[in-house]
Amino acid sequence: MQDLLDAFIEPLTGIHFQKALIGAALSAIACGVVGSFIVLRRMAFLGDALSHAMLAGVTSGYLFMQMLFGYEAHAPAMIIGALLAGLVTVSAISFVSQVSRIKEDTAIGIMYTGIFALGGILASVFSDRIHIHLFDFVVGMVLAVEDGHLWMIASVCALVLCVVILFFRQLQITTFDPIMAASIGVPVVGVHYLLTACTSLVVVSAVPVVGVVLVVGLLITPAATAYLVTNRLRTMVIAAPVFGVLSVVVGLYLSSWIGNVAPGPMIVVVGTFQFIVLLCIAPRYGLIADWWRRYQLAPQTLLEDILGFIRDDGRQHVPLHEILAQIKSPQHMVRRAVRELQRQHLLKEDRQGIGFTDVGQHEARRLLRSHRLWETYLEHVGTPEAELHLTAHQLEHLHDENTVDYLDDKLGHPLRDPHGSEIPEDFIDLVPGATIKASLLRQGHQATVISVSGGRKDHPIQEETQITAGPRRGEGNLWTFVLPDGSLIELDHESADAVTVRLDNTGAS
Amino acid sequence: MNQSSKDNSDSSTNPAILVDNLTVSYGPVPALLDVSFKVPAGQLIGIIGPNGSGKSTLIKAILGFLKPDFGTVYLFGEPAAHAKGRVAYVPQRGSVDWDFPVSVQEVVLMGRYGHVPWWKNLGQQEWQLADDALEMVRMSHYRKRQIGELSGGQQQRVFMARAMAQGADILLLDEPFAGVDAATERAILDVLEQTKQAGKTLLVVHHDLTTAAEYFDALILLKQRLYAFGSPEAVLHRRLLSEVYEGSLRIFSDLSQTTKNS
Ligand SMILES: Nc1ncnc2c1ncn2[C@@H]1O[C@H](COP(=O)(O)OP(=O)(O)O)[C@@H](O)[C@H]1O
Ligand SMILES: [Mg+2]
Repeated sequence: MQDLLDAFIEPLTGIHFQKALIGAALSAIACGVVGSFIVLRRMAFLGDALSHAMLAGVTSGYLFMQMLFGYEAHAPAMIIGALLAGLVTVSAISFVSQVSRIKEDTAIGIMYTGIFALGGILASVFSDRIHIHLFDFVVGMVLAVEDGHLWMIASVCALVLCVVILFFRQLQITTFDPIMAASIGVPVVGVHYLLTACTSLVVVSAVPVVGVVLVVGLLITPAATAYLVTNRLRTMVIAAPVFGVLSVVVGLYLSSWIGNVAPGPMIVVVGTFQFIVLLCIAPRYGLIADWWRRYQLAPQTLLEDILGFIRDDGRQHVPLHEILAQIKSPQHMVRRAVRELQRQHLLKEDRQGIGFTDVGQHEARRLLRSHRLWETYLEHVGTPEAELHLTAHQLEHLHDENTVDYLDDKLGHPLRDPHGSEIPEDFIDLVPGATIKASLLRQGHQATVISVSGGRKDHPIQEETQITAGPRRGEGNLWTFVLPDGSLIELDHESADAVTVRLDNTGAS
Repeated sequence: MNQSSKDNSDSSTNPAILVDNLTVSYGPVPALLDVSFKVPAGQLIGIIGPNGSGKSTLIKAILGFLKPDFGTVYLFGEPAAHAKGRVAYVPQRGSVDWDFPVSVQEVVLMGRYGHVPWWKNLGQQEWQLADDALEMVRMSHYRKRQIGELSGGQQQRVFMARAMAQGADILLLDEPFAGVDAATERAILDVLEQTKQAGKTLLVVHHDLTTAAEYFDALILLKQRLYAFGSPEAVLHRRLLSEVYEGSLRIFSDLSQTTKNS
């Protein structure tokens, strides 16, 4: 027990460990807050670019002070250099992507590698003058954090927090809907530069701790992890720093226990691992939750089969056990599906059994129409009789309005399916007052003609006449309409389609 | 045109939207070329035209989001650049990040952001106005939902509520009817009508020519240039449509009769 406690306390007594912990944690807080917006704005690559460009800036700042004033490793100069390099990179990126057809991500790729490479050349040409390990800037040197650094990190962290708290609404709205933001007078471009400036500051301050490559891990990963667990921006902006600090603490301890492991990479590895774990177990957007939801979700086809079964049964109420017995699916699935249908207010249950709600009735009728139209279609394209019902049973689940209307029109608005059962009318479009083609009318419907297709001047129907649909003739491919004077006209599909009518009423039904 | 420059305090005589020789470009070819029209207050206007004809561009220019190469947009007699917040915007569905961590209520609340100075917190009153707007589109029930967890029509209504909450006199809607079912289309149209009754001016990008005449008081037919602006009967003219749509219109044959005969 004491040993275990010591394992946690012992590293804390080291001054380097203390400073590393404070420095890295503060960096993680700043990174997480800014990173949340970076992630939502899809600017992750920009963080990468900035951190790399910084290396050139640090080198330049170092050389500048050393060659002109003889200072060694002058920290403020290196930081200012880094900031300037960030500024140059960002301006170059927006310049290139604005004046040419090069897209922003490509411009980022070009500019940051260019400036990074420039830093590499400077560093190698003047390698005899540079007395710090630039490699430390690549993987960071957490355990060598100095007081000056700590102060800088703390100030940056405070500054960034102030900016985000003060301008939270502006950051939120320009990220979510820049057009609307601009229309109410929020300076969209200004906010963008503010965020870029914050990112540069955060990256500059964090690079000495975790290094050029890994700072992106601190900026992006905790924010992405937070994005998995919440759907509120406020929560995300709070959760991201929490995840960041968590990976800092765990990473530092691990590297101190294992020994001889660079702490910077360890922090980022822990962060990545944390992300992967949450990707799996996050309650809402995690893989397991998703899988569970899908498992819980009764397949749409099963839901529709149950509706179809109750509809075909014809009784007001069907006992649950009959449904369970008749539907060929595992019982627990059927039960779940019935519950789901009740939740969707399509079915209702009372003492006598399970029956439709009004909405359910409507839905069932829609499915029936789809099923019978598919069956007719299959017959039309020559599907063998024996396969008709089963194939139609699978296809009826394709029942969006466009599909069904297309079938209906293609088949000449059939009245009966191959088994002779009636195909329900297009009751979605057939609502009184609706403007439809006359070919949709069924016997008994009354409608007023709005217009008749132009190419048919000899058309027997004139505008503004009221017509009543009579029975179909021929093989169901001739429409009959009764005119106000009692005369009867006969139209083929094309001519009936050419007549646009306003439905007055659907007769007795 | 001359007299409007001096006396623009009197907003009742000024048109709600006056677009004056507007040209907007993204590259060498202008997306909008020399577009001028005038919309009186209190009308429900449809913008029609084929894909890429500049409908969204027009909306963004009126919003002041795009800077015109030439020309000016006046809102109630004031240049659009000075009329921030007087127009509300309902974006095209495809341009919204539906995974954004924001709730229905928070989106509607954004409508109030323009009314609160940046250093102040949102007051009780702002929340109340947002709630009222949600009530108006009958979405109060869903206020805590993340916006991605709604159906297409519901999402549309949330953005309508945001526009209401903004209290703007002009509403610009980019394809509000795209991808919603017939019932939702009616529900949205009802909200539009209601808004019009309340004296607002609405400009709506619409893609369905068959319903355009029924829904709108007037239509703007756009394809880079302004082909027609006026009553639906005048705009949905066979010759105009065939010129603008170049025969790519399938329902065209049905439609031209509707207009020719009416
Ligand atoms: N951000 C953009 N950059 C470059 N070209 C654009 C941009 N947005 C639109 N365009 C072009 O401008 C023209 C008009 O587009 P848009 O206004 O979106 O048309 P619509 O909304 O009518 O479909 C199109 O040719 C389109 O390719
Ligand atoms: Mg568009």
